[in-house]
Amino acid sequence: MIRRVSAPWRAQLALLATACLLAALALPATGSAAPPKRVVALTPFAANTLAKLGVAPVAVGQTLGGAERFSPKLKNAKVLPLSHPNGPNLEQLASLNPDLVFSSQTWAKGNEAMGELGIDVVVQDPRSINGALADTFEIGTIMGRKHYARDVLQGMRKEIEAAEKGIEKRPKVMLILGVGRTPFTFLPNSWGGDVVSKAGGVLLTGGVKSGSGFERISDEVVVAEDPDIIIAVPHANEDDIPSLTEYLRSNPAWSSTRAAQTGRVYISVDNSLLQAGTDIARTIRKVRSAYLKN
Amino acid sequence: MARRTLVFAALIAALIAAVVCSLAFGAVKVPISTVIDIVLGKGGSPTDTQIVETLRLPRTVEAMLVGAALGVAGAILQGALGNPLASPDVIGVTGGAGFGAILIIILLPGSIALLPLTALAFGLLAAALVFAFAWSGRNRGSVGKVVLAGIAMLSLFTAGTTGLLAAFPERAPSAIFFIAGGLTSSGWRDLETVWPYFAAGFVFVLFLIRPLDRLALGDDVAASLGSRPQLIRLGAGIAAALLAAASAAIAGLLGFLGLVVPHVVRMAGGTSSHTFVVPASAIGGAALLAGADTLARTLRAPIEMPVGPFMVILGVPLFLWLLRKAV
Repeated sequence: MIRRVSAPWRAQLALLATACLLAALALPATGSAAPPKRVVALTPFAANTLAKLGVAPVAVGQTLGGAERFSPKLKNAKVLPLSHPNGPNLEQLASLNPDLVFSSQTWAKGNEAMGELGIDVVVQDPRSINGALADTFEIGTIMGRKHYARDVLQGMRKEIEAAEKGIEKRPKVMLILGVGRTPFTFLPNSWGGDVVSKAGGVLLTGGVKSGSGFERISDEVVVAEDPDIIIAVPHANEDDIPSLTEYLRSNPAWSSTRAAQTGRVYISVDNSLLQAGTDIARTIRKVRSAYLKN
Repeated sequence: MARRTLVFAALIAALIAAVVCSLAFGAVKVPISTVIDIVLGKGGSPTDTQIVETLRLPRTVEAMLVGAALGVAGAILQGALGNPLASPDVIGVTGGAGFGAILIIILLPGSIALLPLTALAFGLLAAALVFAFAWSGRNRGSVGKVVLAGIAMLSLFTAGTTGLLAAFPERAPSAIFFIAGGLTSSGWRDLETVWPYFAAGFVFVLFLIRPLDRLALGDDVAASLGSRPQLIRLGAGIAAALLAAASAAIAGLLGFLGLVVPHVVRMAGGTSSHTFVVPASAIGGAALLAGADTLARTLRAPIEMPVGPFMVILGVPLFLWLLRKAV
C-alpha cells in the first residue's frame, strides 16, 4: 500500500527541502574547511611536526627535559608551563585565542576544560614509531598540508631505515624509568621500549604487560633475566649522571648482572626515550652508538 | 596467664610462617629445598643464591625489624599518651620522614643514596620540634599539648610533601612507593645506615616498660610511686621517634601498623600490661609486615605492589573481629 502525503504536508516538505539546500550551499563542506590558523602544540612531538610542516604554532608546551628538543624554527613560539593533570593555565591559553590545541592524554582534565572554552582539542601522544608516523600524517591533514606531510614522512621513513641498518648484535636491554628505590620498567608499548627494540635491543620485561607502558617489576626478575645493558631514564640533570650511575651499579639486585659487571649501566637524561619526538632516526642512532654499541 | 601464653605462641607461629613464606616465595620460582640449602650455606646456583641471599634474606630481616619497631613505637606511645589513637603519626615522625624522602626523590635525584638518612633526619627533626613545642610554656608535657603539637607538625610536613609533588608531578611516580609504604630489595645497604637507631630505640624501650605500667595508673598515682610522668612521656616519645624514623627510612610510610597492632595484641591478650603488650606488639608487627610484604611481592608477580595496602587488608579484618568481640 502506498501511503500518500496530504497537500499541506507536501508544501511543508518542499519548504524544508529548500531550506536544507540553501543551508548546505551557504556552509562550507567539512572536507574543505579552512585549516586552523592559531595553533598551540602542548607536546614536543606535535610542536616539531608543525615546524617540519612549515606551520608556526602560537605557543608550545614546556617539555619535560627543557627546550633542547624543540626545532630552532620554534624559537619565537611562546612556551606554556604545564601542570598535571590540567596542562596549561586556561586563562593564559584563552588569552592566546587558539583555534586548535594539540594536546596529550597526560592533560586529560585540562583537555575537557579547553573543550568547554570552545577550543578544538586533538589528543596525540604517540607511544610507538609507527604511531608517530601516522600522527605526522594526521597533523598534516588537519593543517591542510597533506602534501608536505607525505614528503616529511617519506624523508623520516628513509632516515629510520638507514638508522636501523647493519645491526650486528641484539643485546638484552632493561630500560628503567625513574631512580627512586622502586624504578619502573619500560614495556614494549612505551615510546622508549619501541625505540630500543628498533635499535636492535631485546627489551626485558619479565613478561609483564600493562596499558600504561610502564610497570614496577621485581628485582628478582632483573637478576634472573640478567640484562647485558641497563639504561635508566630518570628525571634528573646531566650533573647527576655520575652519582646515579654509581648508585644503580651498586644496587644489590643489579650488581651481579652482566650489565653492572661489564660497566654497561647508562643514564639518559634528555628524555628522548621518554617522550615521542620527530627526531626518531637520530634517537635510534644515539641508542645504538651510545648504549647498545651494535 | 594461659591466655597470654597462648597469644605469644600464636604470634611466634605466625612470625615463623611469615618468615618461611618470605624466603620461599617471590617473583622467581626457587624450589624450597634449594632455599633451605642456600640458607644453611650448602649452596645453590649463582642466580638462586643471589636471589635468596642478596634479595630475599635482607628484605625479610628488614620486614621483621620495621614491623617490630612500628609495633613497639605504637604500643609505647599509646601507653605514654593514654590515647588509643596514638601512633608514630601523632609525634610528627611519619610526616617529617615522608618530607625528607620526597625532598631527595623530587629535588635531588642524584643523591638518591642519601634517602634513608634524609628520611631519618627529617623524621627525628619533626619529633624534636613536637617535643620542643609541647615542653614549652604552660602545661608543659601534657598529653593534649603533645598531641596537638604533633598534629600541627604532621600537617606542616605533609603540606610540604604535597607541595613538592604538585610542583614536580612528572617525578611523582618515583615517590608513590615511598608514600604508600613498601620494602625494597636494597640488600643490607639501608640497614647498615639505620641499625644504630633501631638498636638505641629498642634498648630505650626496655627501660620504659615498667614506668609505662605505673603511668597507666594515672599521673598522680605514678608520681606518688616516685615516677615522673612528663619524663616518662618524653622518653617514650624519643624512643618511638627513633624507631619510627628508622622504619620510615627503610620502608616508607606505614602508619597503620603502629596504630593497630598494639590494639590487636591488647584485645587478644586481655591485658594492657606493657610487659605483655610491648613484646607481643613487636612479634605481631614483625609477622604482619613480613606476611604482607610476601603477598605484595607475589600476588601479581613479577609486578611488585606497595606493601601498605596489603598490610591493611591483612590487619583490618582481624582488628575488626577482635573489636567486635571486645565491645
